[in-house]
Amino acid sequence: MNAIETHHLTKLYGEHVGMKNVSLEIKEGEVFGFVGPNGAGKSTMIRTLLGLLHPTSGTGTLFGVDITKGENVRARIGYLPSEVNYYEEMSSMELLEYHMRFYGQSDRTKIEALADYFELDLHKKITDLSFGNKKKCAILQTLLHDPDLLILDEPTSGLDPLMQNRFFEHLEERNKQGTTIFFSSHILSEVQRMCNRAAVIKAGEIIAIEDIGELMAKQVKRVRLKYAQKTDFEKIDGMNDIHWHGNKLGFNYVGNIHPLLNWLQSQDLQDVTLEEPDLETIFMNYYER
Amino acid sequence: MNWNLYFTEVKRNRKNLITWTLIAVGFTALVVSIFPTMEDMGQDLAELMSKLPPEIAKAMGMDAETWTNILGFYSTYYGIYIILLVGIFCMSTGATIVSKEERDRTSEFLLTRPLSRKQIFNEKMLAMLSLTFIIFTIQTIVATTLVFIFGSNVNWSAFATMHIHGLILILFFTCLGVLISFFFQPKKNFMGMVVGIIFGSYFLNAVSRTAESIEWLGYFSPFHYLDFDPLNPEYSANWIGMAVMVVISAGFLFAAFRLFEKKDIAG
Repeated sequence: MNAIETHHLTKLYGEHVGMKNVSLEIKEGEVFGFVGPNGAGKSTMIRTLLGLLHPTSGTGTLFGVDITKGENVRARIGYLPSEVNYYEEMSSMELLEYHMRFYGQSDRTKIEALADYFELDLHKKITDLSFGNKKKCAILQTLLHDPDLLILDEPTSGLDPLMQNRFFEHLEERNKQGTTIFFSSHILSEVQRMCNRAAVIKAGEIIAIEDIGELMAKQVKRVRLKYAQKTDFEKIDGMNDIHWHGNKLGFNYVGNIHPLLNWLQSQDLQDVTLEEPDLETIFMNYYER
Repeated sequence: MNWNLYFTEVKRNRKNLITWTLIAVGFTALVVSIFPTMEDMGQDLAELMSKLPPEIAKAMGMDAETWTNILGFYSTYYGIYIILLVGIFCMSTGATIVSKEERDRTSEFLLTRPLSRKQIFNEKMLAMLSLTFIIFTIQTIVATTLVFIFGSNVNWSAFATMHIHGLILILFFTCLGVLISFFFQPKKNFMGMVVGIIFGSYFLNAVSRTAESIEWLGYFSPFHYLDFDPLNPEYSANWIGMAVMVVISAGFLFAAFRLFEKKDIAG
């Protein structure tokens, strides 16, 4: 059975397209990336799957249950929102106990163990928590009831690198035990690390569903070079969108990294910057070629 | 039913409940305990009343007996101030019990738990009605005790009728509060709107009594159907009026539920 399945799922806000004709099949046990720039429709998709938004047309199921009648199946789902908004007058412990009671559970030691792992002070009021600690609290409420499917929306925003790594390790461990993960992000490196497959969404429509290995081969690098002065150079395959600003050269590079590194060594440079461009640039580069 | 949401809602509203119960009870105690003083001045006040235009006295629900009969005195204050005080708490609780989740952006948390929207709505309404019954019951018990202490030859049947009318009116305003919250941006409190609606309804009814030509105005006020006139020998429970009010209140909740069920929860 698929953990998530949608057929032509569409959400329109009047004239505005939230998402259009989204069809996906995500198998149980899979770690599936859902990538796209901000405003592409990632959150609309998640909110529709969770019943927060009513689809305009199309169908969707979670573990075979219609998403429009999904209240019972939500007991098998852990949802980590991108923005965390909780009852500010509650402490983290009160919130997590409140959360657990919805699932018929009341194990404080389980809460304490997970809070220790993620270094969260359970006795502080939500209103007194920093952005990062609110995110940790959200991570706990996502995991505590041992869901079979994790739906994560921009899961690392607000977490420091150490905590991001700890969270990923925990997710990998859960996935080994069979948990399906739907990982929505605009940060490609996270998707690369965590996911087997990924769908790319742009302007509300799925433009590709790729194996991550194949996606990597298509990856674009944004290259910025500083010369002593503007100079002629020999182009190599994979360079595009080339432009000079004074003595600085910028271009996008698509393909294997080794030819680029060899070419860079042959240049008389003052400075080099290699960046992972935003996903939109990567996919615009790839799909417009 | 999970009851988790129900108990949490009651707990989250307990501070407001205690505050407004103390205010309503304190006001009740003040009104009833000053009655003996008023009774002593009854003759003078009755003379003063006789100089008031009869339309005004009628609109305010006052006559000479208002000052010499504890029920008459208490009903004058109960019919507007106590209903208003209890109504402010109940109607504003109704107006915020669902909308505050959207205002505080906690809807996303609540609606992604394994609960249907129907369960969420039902548990919240049950919590709201429980709070309404708690404040109403405490005020009624305190009023009964004090009227028993300070009054004599009290017509308890009229007293009970007045309170039953009061309960139905409060329920009406509470349910109206739930419905109107779906037509406005979620707010910290709906106090101004609540006071305006309750006071407005009261004065609409009061004004309608001042002249026959504007009597029809009263039909638009719930106070017209469930009045507080315990000194009237024909005063009795308006069961039809109460049944209609209960049906209308249930209609408010049903309409609110349908809006809640169809609502998209934006990010």
